[in-house]
Amino acid sequence: MKKFNLVTLATKNIRRKKFRTGILVFSISLIVSVLVFGLSFIINVSSGIERASARLGADLIVVPVGARSYAEEVLLESKSKSFYMNKNIINRVKKIEGVDVITFHTYLTTIQGVCCDVPEATVVAFNQESDFIIMPWLEKAIGRKLEKNEAIVGHESFLNIGLGLMDAMLFGTRFKIMGALDKTGTGLDNAIFTSDENVEEILQKGRSQLKPDEISIIFVKVKEGYDPYIVGRIIEGDIIEADVVTRSDIGKDITGALGDINMIFSITVFMASILSVLLAWAIFSATVNERLREVGVMLALGAKESHVAKLFFIEVFFIGLMGSVCGVVFGTALSLLLAKSFTILKNLPGGLNAVDRAVIGAAGFVIGTGICILGAFSPVQRIKKLEPLAVIKGELA
Amino acid sequence: MHIVLSDVTKSYFIGKDRFDAVRNVSLEIDSREFISIVGHSGSGKTTLLSIIGGIARPTSGTVLYEGKDIYSLDKDRLSEYRCEKTGFIFQFASLLPNLTSEENVLLPVLFKTGNRAIAAAEKKAAELLHMAGVGDKLNAYPSQLSGGQQRRVAIARAFINDPEVVLADEPTGDLDEATEAEIMRFFKRMNEEAGTTFIMVTHNSGLARDTGRQLKMDNGSISVVQGI
Repeated sequence: MKKFNLVTLATKNIRRKKFRTGILVFSISLIVSVLVFGLSFIINVSSGIERASARLGADLIVVPVGARSYAEEVLLESKSKSFYMNKNIINRVKKIEGVDVITFHTYLTTIQGVCCDVPEATVVAFNQESDFIIMPWLEKAIGRKLEKNEAIVGHESFLNIGLGLMDAMLFGTRFKIMGALDKTGTGLDNAIFTSDENVEEILQKGRSQLKPDEISIIFVKVKEGYDPYIVGRIIEGDIIEADVVTRSDIGKDITGALGDINMIFSITVFMASILSVLLAWAIFSATVNERLREVGVMLALGAKESHVAKLFFIEVFFIGLMGSVCGVVFGTALSLLLAKSFTILKNLPGGLNAVDRAVIGAAGFVIGTGICILGAFSPVQRIKKLEPLAVIKGELA
Repeated sequence: MHIVLSDVTKSYFIGKDRFDAVRNVSLEIDSREFISIVGHSGSGKTTLLSIIGGIARPTSGTVLYEGKDIYSLDKDRLSEYRCEKTGFIFQFASLLPNLTSEENVLLPVLFKTGNRAIAAAEKKAAELLHMAGVGDKLNAYPSQLSGGQQRRVAIARAFINDPEVVLADEPTGDLDEATEAEIMRFFKRMNEEAGTTFIMVTHNSGLARDTGRQLKMDNGSISVVQGI
């Protein structure tokens, strides 16, 4: 004979009412898939921002007044934006107490057919002597500095634009593309990098909006023991043409909006969960009422209250498990399929790693199974306490 | 084994009206006895059997099993009494519909010892089903059995844990005369050879006469006692 225990008995019971079980599994899987999809979206965005800002390696970012959001769009969302401030700000920042090292970038936007032979992208002119943002990746990619009229492309540019081994015309100058950087996990993965030695020639050819002595952004590392927030406030106070973003504030607008979305999403999931609990309660109340006589017989044959409770909760657990597994699979598939449909996710670097997915899956599993157990709790508690003869006769209090 | 019922009453309330299903019943049952209980419908036979079987708590009075009031036991100990000391044969179809005959018979073993002893009890279950005349229906589900066959499976189930007392509520109600006689011979044999005590509710006065002691119930009370 096959195995015979409470688990086999429970699985046989589940199979008895396929349609009813199906409805409950479906409703659990729906709520879990919404939860998994929503969590995936929110965690994906917030961890992407966190990861990108951490990988930049700067404590502070100094940008022209009013260009804070443009800078975030370039650094986090890979968007092409041009914003400029005077180069003399570099020296003024250097003099601020607490500033340790600085470097700067100049961002140029390509327009295919007008100045360049590549689609719209950001060209980053960086200072190879002082740079601590790009240089570590460059060292890894080609093991040396870029020469004049040489460029290297970001990981995503290499994949998306197809740049990598051919030459490219940028702002009227032909650049030799030396290869591609590894994935940095920042918005700069979509950029094309070249030394700031080339800026003068670009200016001379007049194919860019850039004016002489302009830069886009200054990255600052503060000395040990100094609070980046306070140093940033001093810079803003001393240099009125500049705005300062601390590392922890990068993407704050996005995460703020995300918080609101998160709240709406949480309320929706909470209300849907209550509905699912009520559905589970109604279904298990009906199931328990239908099986009153069976439970009475089991009690009369010597089943303990714990046997009855175990039997029902195993059924509940399996239904919750089936719903949760379906929900996690469906929600994950949905989040992967639709990931590129959301502008913010399309441009934001990174993505969910296995641990993130496991945590989200576990949350979906706990919620899905919890809904079932919560819904079944009251009907099961009611029946297990009844006198066997009363249950057999259906004389429920 | 000795069962003593003292002044047992079981009352139900229908609205504010009280109805005594069993009224002030006192009774002593000795080991190896074969007792039948007869009476009209609603006279309290099934309720009295259920009280002895530990499945209906009396409103007042005590039921002593080997000197201990079974209703003073905690819930788990009372379940163990039902599982290990008694075997109950219900008046109605009492098989679990999603279990095979064999699994239905093994159900009390699952409750007694968990799944550890199931494999060891399989042979016994098959023997009991064979003795009850449904040995070829081991893997049949209740829906594939006639009412009489279902009753036989329920009878086999009552004996799986070697109970000291079998409480049978109209055990041969669905059976033809020949099968009824066969089942009664099986009961007698178990009573005489294994020493199992039988308390059997029946409408059949012929069957009742064939038992050691006949109790007649009327309006919840034992009105007539015949036999030893």
